[in-house]
Amino acid sequence: MNVALAILWKDLISEWRARDRVVAMLIFSILMAVVFHFALPGRRPEELQALTPGLLWTAYIFAALLGLNRSLALELDNDALAGLALAPGNRGWIFLGKATANWILISLVQAVTALIFAIFYRVDLAPALPGLALVVGLGTVGICAAGTLLATMAVRTGFREVLLPVLLLPALFPVLAGAVEGSLAAVQGVSIPFESLQLLIVVDGVYLVVAFLGFDYVLDE
Amino acid sequence: MSAPLLTLRGIEKRYASVTALGGIDLELSAGESIAILGPNGAGKSTLLRIIAGLAHPTSGTLEFAGGKHDRRRIGYLGHSTLLYPELSARENLIFTGRLYGLANPAARADQLLAEEGLTEVAGRRAGGFSRGMAQRLSIARARVHAPSLLLLDEPYTGLDEPAARRLTSRLQSLSAEGHALALVTHEISRAALLAERALILNAGSVAGRVAGQPLDEAELARAYARALECEA
Repeated sequence: MNVALAILWKDLISEWRARDRVVAMLIFSILMAVVFHFALPGRRPEELQALTPGLLWTAYIFAALLGLNRSLALELDNDALAGLALAPGNRGWIFLGKATANWILISLVQAVTALIFAIFYRVDLAPALPGLALVVGLGTVGICAAGTLLATMAVRTGFREVLLPVLLLPALFPVLAGAVEGSLAAVQGVSIPFESLQLLIVVDGVYLVVAFLGFDYVLDE
Repeated sequence: MSAPLLTLRGIEKRYASVTALGGIDLELSAGESIAILGPNGAGKSTLLRIIAGLAHPTSGTLEFAGGKHDRRRIGYLGHSTLLYPELSARENLIFTGRLYGLANPAARADQLLAEEGLTEVAGRRAGGFSRGMAQRLSIARARVHAPSLLLLDEPYTGLDEPAARRLTSRLQSLSAEGHALALVTHEISRAALLAERALILNAGSVAGRVAGQPLDEAELARAYARALECEA
């Protein structure tokens, strides 16, 4: 557990000083909002309300891809990933530290992105906030669990920018299914379907366990 | 009689159809220094990374003091520094200490910074360090958990001559303090200054072994040339 906390501290303090990951993800998310704005002209408010969860999650997923790639690329500088792999004990804690740091940074970007989308599409997200936060939080656990594991696999290859989306996007289909449905219910002010939350919790659990146990093999050369 | 600190038996490493290492046997006693020499692609770094626990051998056994592999007993210094540029020198050492579960990583960091002459720059970010300073910090990083074996993978890469001399002197003093050293290099003169034994690798196999106290540079150079001629 101490290893996970040490890595969480290291990742957050490094990002606070460099601010490269969060800024890159935020700029990308703003650009996505602009692209969607031009791609969907003349929509009525109720149409936009129905589309917002899907658009939001599209932006979330692609911004997360950027952040996850960068998160592991930083570990390649000075061969720092080897430094982590040399640490004694279960390497699953290394995964947990990296994944938690990714979750915090991506969640921060997601909160700002939701605000930007609310302004762009004139959707009042304030009443939906508690439900939306729950669904987004759960969905992001799945993204970060699978994403941290797969980014670590992809980062040592010569084409990591291509490999990570190819590996990760199929793994996120169930996350997207639960998250978009749950987010839509939250935005429309109805209760979030239990099946959506159940799907997210089960997928999160499976990805966390697989990644925790599999990280040892992924870090081996 | 106590077991050697490190024992390798029949270590092989294959990547698909390529054999990077083929049947390496090696023993290293506590406090002993060995140089692992060979041309590029000989398998030196692969061997060191297997000893470090960064890679698994395809076959063969590796023991520490007669027991199983233990990452706590190994310090690793490569040509990359393993440091985080956004963290200060002190923060890098504290972070490493926390990875190894030290009870008081801050005190250990301060002690190592003093030993490496880096106290004055403890608060500066490692990303702004010269290559020589970064290498000294890297030595401190490798020693955070007081390992009994230090693995050195081409530690002279990128160092100017004064910094290289300082590194040699520092490694000699670490050896005198009782650390076992395994040094991967292709520089015969530096190997002769630091090691009591040399293992010469070529194309993944042992092509020669030389021993002496100290190692004779001329004899080592001849053995190295013979080993490479055999391959040619």
